[in-house]
Amino acid sequence: MAMNYLEEYRDGRHRTWKDLWVVRPILVCCRLLLRTTIHRPVTVLYPYEALWNPDNYRGRPALEFNKCLGCGMCVRMCPCTAIILVETPDDEGKPVMRPQINMGRCSFCAYCAEYCPVDAMTVTPIVELAEYTRSDLIYGPRRLAYEHTTEGMKVKFEETLISDYKNGNGEIRHDHFSIDRPELDEKKCISCKKCAKVCPVNAITMVEHGTNAKGRPILWPEVKSDVCVSCSNCIDACPKSALKMKEVL
Amino acid sequence: MANDNYDSSKYPKYPIEGFDTLPPDMHLTPEAIAEGALPENVPRNPAAWTHVHGGRMDTDPMWITMGPQHPFSHGLWTLRVKADGEMVTDAEPIIGYLHRGWEKEVENRTYPKIIPMADRLCYAASMTYTHLYCMTCEKALGLEIPEKTKYIRIVADEINRLQSHLMWLAAVGTDFGNFTGFIWATREREYWMDMNVRLCGARMTTNYPRIGGVRNDTPEIFDRDIIRCCDRFDKALWDIITLFDDNSTFTSRMIGTGILTREQCANLGITGPAMRGTGVDFDVRRDDPYDNYDKIDFDVPVLTAGDSYARYVVRVEEMFQSTRIIRQAMAKIRALGKSAPYRLKAPMNIPAGTTRMRMEDPRGTSYMYLVSDGTDKPYRLKVRSPIFNNVSSSKQLVTGCRIADIPVIMAMIDMCLGETDR
Repeated sequence: MAMNYLEEYRDGRHRTWKDLWVVRPILVCCRLLLRTTIHRPVTVLYPYEALWNPDNYRGRPALEFNKCLGCGMCVRMCPCTAIILVETPDDEGKPVMRPQINMGRCSFCAYCAEYCPVDAMTVTPIVELAEYTRSDLIYGPRRLAYEHTTEGMKVKFEETLISDYKNGNGEIRHDHFSIDRPELDEKKCISCKKCAKVCPVNAITMVEHGTNAKGRPILWPEVKSDVCVSCSNCIDACPKSALKMKEVL
Repeated sequence: MANDNYDSSKYPKYPIEGFDTLPPDMHLTPEAIAEGALPENVPRNPAAWTHVHGGRMDTDPMWITMGPQHPFSHGLWTLRVKADGEMVTDAEPIIGYLHRGWEKEVENRTYPKIIPMADRLCYAASMTYTHLYCMTCEKALGLEIPEKTKYIRIVADEINRLQSHLMWLAAVGTDFGNFTGFIWATREREYWMDMNVRLCGARMTTNYPRIGGVRNDTPEIFDRDIIRCCDRFDKALWDIITLFDDNSTFTSRMIGTGILTREQCANLGITGPAMRGTGVDFDVRRDDPYDNYDKIDFDVPVLTAGDSYARYVVRVEEMFQSTRIIRQAMAKIRALGKSAPYRLKAPMNIPAGTTRMRMEDPRGTSYMYLVSDGTDKPYRLKVRSPIFNNVSSSKQLVTGCRIADIPVIMAMIDMCLGETDR
């Protein structure tokens, strides 16, 4: 096996064809010419035909409007700051927060689709994005819609916990949206309710724990574990850094 | 060019009708033109002027600037060469046209967000730098990644190595004027890019490795296609190299040009195929194995000639070895099955400390140095690019050769200025 090519060519000349150096390349080219004449073409007529691409092909991101929670995980993870949250009326006219993508900044890394906790953001095979102006490249939440979403376009986020892996349960998969939960340091909490206000899924309720010295109620946030999507918005909103993400490893 | 010896009074001035835009002292007679006289602003043919210089040709050394936009430079950089006639006596590389502030930019990002940026260091082999970055973070975390991930990363690395080497082979084709070689190598590269699409959905900037694993498991379509691709490539590469190796038009331009010795190589810090072409038997994959390269059987090509042809042969042999590695790693992945873990959950914060890691990039030994401070952002991330050293040694490489040899010599270095300037 070893290194066939190196052994044969290391002296700089092919030994067998030493005197007929120009013949072999010509023969190889003629063979290819014959082969390509007989075989069907390998190229396609691009604007009329397109090459087949797998489902996970990373074109522009797409958004399923009604599935989206407005949690801002895509905004948090976007390495190019291409995504911002904008206020948009939903189907009933109620204002909700939804992502808007500037495709002029997008680097097609698919982090938004990967980190979406409800798979509302997906990848699509659309790559023909040329526009006449820069403002046309900004895709609002409704314009991001894509009808032909398949299961393969939802980029899965499956991780094995380090503890599971060490115990030999490597086949158990989690995503961190369902296991990481914010944890409260009660001493720092000032009962400002900001975390409850920013929570996109209303998972935080303020529970009363007695009264303070001035007779006002002490309110501590309580996270509903089954609703929380681990988006870290409450942690960012907390003015006293009382909340912290507790990672399950 | 200074024209001190040009004596215009020596020639009669006859204004030619219809050409009055020329100043009167530049009008030349047909006899003078036949004798070799030229207007002052046109470079003269020194051979025709020997009688003016007292029988001596005007061969003052001059600096020629090649680049930043020049067909020989695969990227934006300038090579200033001092030419004495046709011989190069001195050279000076100038880089920095592609400086993007990469190392400063990553200090403002959390660890997962650096992965797509590490792709952009070198587009021809994006996954190797991402892999190195993820390995550095895993070493800082003390994370032992699953077996399957290691093999998947080996396959991904080798695909990128093939992609990078084929890009190099295509560039060598254009530098030699062998356009068929360029087309064939680019065609083969397209198949390996398709493998990237099967694996992770993107052709070039793949964003595939993650801290603690890889983004997704190998799809079934990838398991099927990669072996077909290897079989096809082993045959096709013999055809491509026939165009170069069996044709002395091209081999004679490589053999004996751009010679480096082992000592020069060590002093200049040259790594990778350029180093192995001078007889240094070192490959990080074999001698300091990361991932599972120690469990894979492959050979490291080494030649002692140290010229352009040795570098060429080493790179081509590496391509054959890459398909060998891919076949073995895919067999291991298949044996581990679909249920084996491929991605571990890594903590957001990396504990304070310094970590260093190196790996065998297609172009040499790349190296990352991470200073973490316990937060979710790095304090400092230093990248050692092999091409920075290789390009810096261009003075030693091109000195003593002819100007026509410079494209060939510099093509064998396989420059990528994106990672050099960062």
